[in-house]
Amino acid sequence: MAFKVVKPGLSTTVQDLGRPGYFHLGIPEGGAMDRFALRVANMLVGNDEGAAGLEAVFMGPELTFDADTLVAVTGAEMPIFVDGEPREGWSAFVVKAGQTLRFGFLKAGARIYIAFGGGIATPLALGSRSTYPIGALGGIDGRAIAAGDVVPVGEATTMTERSLDRSLLVPVSAPVSLRVLTGLYWHRLTPACQARFFADEWVVAPEADRMGYRFRGGSPMEFVDREQPFGAGSDPSNIVDGCYSYGSIQVPGGQEPIVLHRDAVSGGGYFTLGAVISADMDLIGQLQPNTKVRFTEVTMEEALAARAARRDRLAKLRAALA
Amino acid sequence: MVLNLPAPRFLPCGDAALTVEFAPGIDAAANALALALAADLEAAPLPGLCDVLPTYRSLTLSYDPCVTGFATLRAALRPRIAALRPGAVEGAVRSIPVFYGGPACLDLARLTAEKGMTEDALIALHLGAAYRVAMIGFAPGFAYLSGLPAALATPRRAEVRQRVTEGALGIGGGQASVNSVAAPSAWSYIGQTPLRLFDAARARPCLLAPGDRLRLRRIGEAEFDTLAARACRGEILFDPETPA
Repeated sequence: MAFKVVKPGLSTTVQDLGRPGYFHLGIPEGGAMDRFALRVANMLVGNDEGAAGLEAVFMGPELTFDADTLVAVTGAEMPIFVDGEPREGWSAFVVKAGQTLRFGFLKAGARIYIAFGGGIATPLALGSRSTYPIGALGGIDGRAIAAGDVVPVGEATTMTERSLDRSLLVPVSAPVSLRVLTGLYWHRLTPACQARFFADEWVVAPEADRMGYRFRGGSPMEFVDREQPFGAGSDPSNIVDGCYSYGSIQVPGGQEPIVLHRDAVSGGGYFTLGAVISADMDLIGQLQPNTKVRFTEVTMEEALAARAARRDRLAKLRAALA
Repeated sequence: MVLNLPAPRFLPCGDAALTVEFAPGIDAAANALALALAADLEAAPLPGLCDVLPTYRSLTLSYDPCVTGFATLRAALRPRIAALRPGAVEGAVRSIPVFYGGPACLDLARLTAEKGMTEDALIALHLGAAYRVAMIGFAPGFAYLSGLPAALATPRRAEVRQRVTEGALGIGGGQASVNSVAAPSAWSYIGQTPLRLFDAARARPCLLAPGDRLRLRRIGEAEFDTLAARACRGEILFDPETPA
């Protein structure tokens, strides 16, 4: 079984839940930007939650199928059509052999996830099918899908169409709040600057992709004086190169914060002031440029409670779809 | 252990990672500790630990917060650190052939002018140093080196080049690099190795490992082309010649 790419969309990649364990080689974990959405799409079509699907940003692809295939689309709000007939998001529906799946204009969010019964069956690269273009890993030859690609799909376990109780989904509030644990070099900012970081309203910059989301509109950083350690250079926003963990907030030149996301580099020489909590990272993957955002300081206990709440929500969905 | 370093600092990096910082700047003893701790954690992993990434002067650990936590890990790490043997990671000795020319030789002329050195003097200084791989990171297989002579330290450039070719040899502040894949960079570049530092299709995707000791060997354009072709075909992994 396979589907053929008629139009690829803007940047559509094969993604699963990523390849942990290679960070020390400089290879990021990668995988779906909105892991929750990919997991639910897979649940709907009866796959393992970590099966590979497509992640499409801002614009959906156009695909034709060579066999009847159970498909689910989750994540961003985007009209779905099978041979011109509308289908519901967050539901599993059959696309028959010879039919075409395509999408309308994006209404809300940023990324849709398309799961296929049986899962995309491209070769594993370091334990994952996730596309990582910088390392030419995963997906189709390590790149985004292109017109004419034939993408293999595995053996489906079910062809049962079903939909999800939407009340199990949490709507996104406006303005968006991203919860932050300060850390690492936070102490290098002046108290006034620390207060402004959380008081200011930021917007998502156009430079927002799988590597990271840049924010602008807030005040530039203001550093306390220090003696630069050997090797760090003279710019106060530079450090001796260190590790950037997932969700780290770096501020190149002390100007605009960048939240590092799934395909971010594993290290570098920019100062980081803290990290967005793991429970809010999926949400970032659904932000469009110009979205208003505030950063909110939380404690470790609050961050862990948010992570537990997210896990409970997933467990409820799992139970509802079992 | 007897090292002239303060007690390590434990710094949270969000709710699923932490950094153990052994020194504020580039420091050989701190790097040796970070590598020894990484090796120790690989030999005897702690519950809930995911990735371990040693750097010039620290170690960043990612973990599953459902299994463990910042305070638990800090308590478990302290005695492990106290029991580390410095120099536990010996590292392999590797020869890296370098062509000081071609498309990666972007800043050699500028550096000679800035430092008031002849090209030959600058190359001899760069070539003669004993480097150690302090960290693999930034890009897949990208090798950060310690051992750059202080006279070659160069501030990062204000402008970021969007694509510096694979194999380029760089200088960023007091740090040096052998780049792996083509990537953006604000560092200065003076040469290129024909070796392929990263290839996901290989049984050994990364050529170099933290702790490796590098000796640079100067080659000309013709040898570069020959070695690059052989490396590309997978005929050679490491330098077939040993440096004089």
